Amino acid sequence: MAEKEKRERPGFNKDIAAAIRKHYKDGQSKRPLAYTLMSSNPLIEVAYAAGIQLAFPENYACVCAARHASGKYCETAETYRYPQDTCSYCRTHLGYLYGSDDNPPMGGLAEPDLLLMTSSACTHYFKWWDALREIYGKPLVFVNTPRVMEPLSLPDYYIDHAIREIQGAMAEIEKILGIEIAEDTLSRAVTLSGEAVDTWQELLELQKAVPCPMDLSDLGNALFVLIVLAGTQEGVDLMKKIYEETRQRVNEGRGILSKDEERHRLLWLNIPFWYKLGIFGYFEDQGCVFPFSDYTQYIWGTTTMDGSKPLESLARKALSGELNTSLDDQIDKLLNDIKAYKVDGVIAHSNRSCRVLSVGVFDAVKIIREELNIPTLLLDCDHTDERVYSEAAIMQRIEAFLEMLG
Amino acid sequence: MVSALDRMIDSVRRSREVLQDTKKKTGRGMIGYFHPVVPEELIYAAELHPVRLYPHFADSITRGDAYLQTYLCSYLRADWDQVIKGKHAYLDGAIIPRSCEAVTFLYQTWRRHNPFKFIDYINVPWKRDDNTIRFFAEELERVGKNLEKFTGKEISEYSLRRAIEIYNRNRELLRKVYSLRKADAPPISGLESIYAVMSSFVVDKQEHNGLLEQLLTEVSQRPERPEKKFRLLISGGCVIDLRLWEMVESLGAEIVADDVNNGSRSFWHKVVEAGKGPLEALARGYAMVPCAFNTSVAERFDYVSKMITEYQVDGVLFAVNRNCESEEFVYPDLDRKIRERFGIPTVGIETDYLMGLAPLRNRVEAFIGILGN
Repeated sequence: MAEKEKRERPGFNKDIAAAIRKHYKDGQSKRPLAYTLMSSNPLIEVAYAAGIQLAFPENYACVCAARHASGKYCETAETYRYPQDTCSYCRTHLGYLYGSDDNPPMGGLAEPDLLLMTSSACTHYFKWWDALREIYGKPLVFVNTPRVMEPLSLPDYYIDHAIREIQGAMAEIEKILGIEIAEDTLSRAVTLSGEAVDTWQELLELQKAVPCPMDLSDLGNALFVLIVLAGTQEGVDLMKKIYEETRQRVNEGRGILSKDEERHRLLWLNIPFWYKLGIFGYFEDQGCVFPFSDYTQYIWGTTTMDGSKPLESLARKALSGELNTSLDDQIDKLLNDIKAYKVDGVIAHSNRSCRVLSVGVFDAVKIIREELNIPTLLLDCDHTDERVYSEAAIMQRIEAFLEMLG
Repeated sequence: MVSALDRMIDSVRRSREVLQDTKKKTGRGMIGYFHPVVPEELIYAAELHPVRLYPHFADSITRGDAYLQTYLCSYLRADWDQVIKGKHAYLDGAIIPRSCEAVTFLYQTWRRHNPFKFIDYINVPWKRDDNTIRFFAEELERVGKNLEKFTGKEISEYSLRRAIEIYNRNRELLRKVYSLRKADAPPISGLESIYAVMSSFVVDKQEHNGLLEQLLTEVSQRPERPEKKFRLLISGGCVIDLRLWEMVESLGAEIVADDVNNGSRSFWHKVVEAGKGPLEALARGYAMVPCAFNTSVAERFDYVSKMITEYQVDGVLFAVNRNCESEEFVYPDLDRKIRERFGIPTVGIETDYLMGLAPLRNRVEAFIGILGN
């Protein structure tokens, strides 16, 4: 594969990189420390309101993949009898824990005081956090919300149940840590979370511009701010900075590629190959950009957060997003957004490690192809376990796809 | 007179024909479902016939792979393959529970290509407290209303209580069958016992109660079986490839207990009304079913520990289906805990009905050899 050409990247990437370094550094030193999940997780805002430092093993698995450490960690996990069928996020993290790497990426993760979990992702995560409880023997606080298989008719009792779950989790956290989570602190965290979400939504709109101001890797970096820093002033400030710079790029007609260079606008379905983010550079060399992905568009930042109704907002967050809801709901959105973002080709990753985003993808691709008459490519791979990635096989298919696009 | 066991074996082996005949005779609509976490009583009370969906292994997967990836569980792929090929023609609909992701999200594929008149889903809780059980009861109420709309008949409290009564009797009788295996020389084998359970997924429950009563009588009249040397517990998810049970017992071991979806997990729970109505009782009862996807390692260990003690188990055979991520994830910790607490040997085998049994046979044989030392 050709090396990524040096192109001018948006400057905010450096700010995000600094925020990521700070997050990992804080995770080494600040207490109490809780491990939690990234997916539609209402406990992020709760934790910040409670003064808890968070660490995200899921994000750490991505970092390990980007640093090409995930393969060896997955291998270690497999020696502890976690088979290759299980999610490579989990295997990467558990392999890191069970292994003895003297120099883990970002200095590793410190031992948690508390485990915070939601069921808005998948059974793997439930099993993963349960395994962490076994390893660390630390209390596990668990918000168990349902899947919303028919989002257009969300029953009221789903919201009421989610609110009670969050209230229960807050009471547990207060008891475990001997603290009190003040109403106004939670309200403030939800307000800040809402500001970041609103700005994020405006940012996504900017991606409709031609040329496209950011590529998927930039948008993926910005997700860190939306998810990990949800409910913090730092997150709001950084998200606004990202937005302002992107808006300026749009106003000046600056894109990742110039208007003349931008020949195709593609959609990436499912999680990217974290160990091979350079692949987007290859696409850029071929005149292709990715204005959006279901991964960046439909999972996070999909709920309006209202500080005057913090529990209801958090409950709606817990029930929202692609990880929680039906594929049909996403297909309707995809059909609309493909047109709105002027997408002319789709690359779908059938991700061995993520059943939530992969079951039904054959149908999704077929519907897109038939309804919109645009070419599609299906790649069978894995988001974190780079041993699954076959350069020759993947690139051969991509090259053929690009040839077809013209 | 045909023995109860022969009827049960026949019902499992020829389930499609048996169900088709039942439908012809009773005229009742039939609703399929996956996993033991769906309260069948609700379907039964709606005057419908609940059917636990399992594929027939003789049919190869030919159309299903166009919808579901090959890295998903082969049982589910085969089930869906057979559904779209019209092999479950007796069905009128399905209820799909939130469980593993493959099953949960099959709902969407099923709905889009819906080959039947009725489709619904049900959120099953992953933890067991008052709030999640209250929610589960509300889910049951919603599904119940949808079933009422489908049949045009009300599900009365009386019909629900009647269904619970019939099912409680079924669970009680199956427990009696399982209790027989506590004996030093169990009068009924593990394979026969699993036929007793799995036939309940096909045969009308009231009729099945009669079969179980007949089975208990017939078994009590059997001459004493020779005592087998090694008493095994089999643990896994859907261990429905009965060739495996047969193979293990043919190698000199006796499967005296199990921790599988198509075994004890299907009837170990109790449904008891505690003043909050039958739906709450169903929710509370079925929330306790210890499938891998909704149960922590600690809870599973409690469940298995009681079995190991009560059934004097000498060793544990983990039969984990390839691509069954929940069971795969639980296995390392559960295995470690069992070894630490009980000091008994264990072995794990990866199963898939698409594979031949020969490599597994070698492994199981070696394991039974270890038990003998």
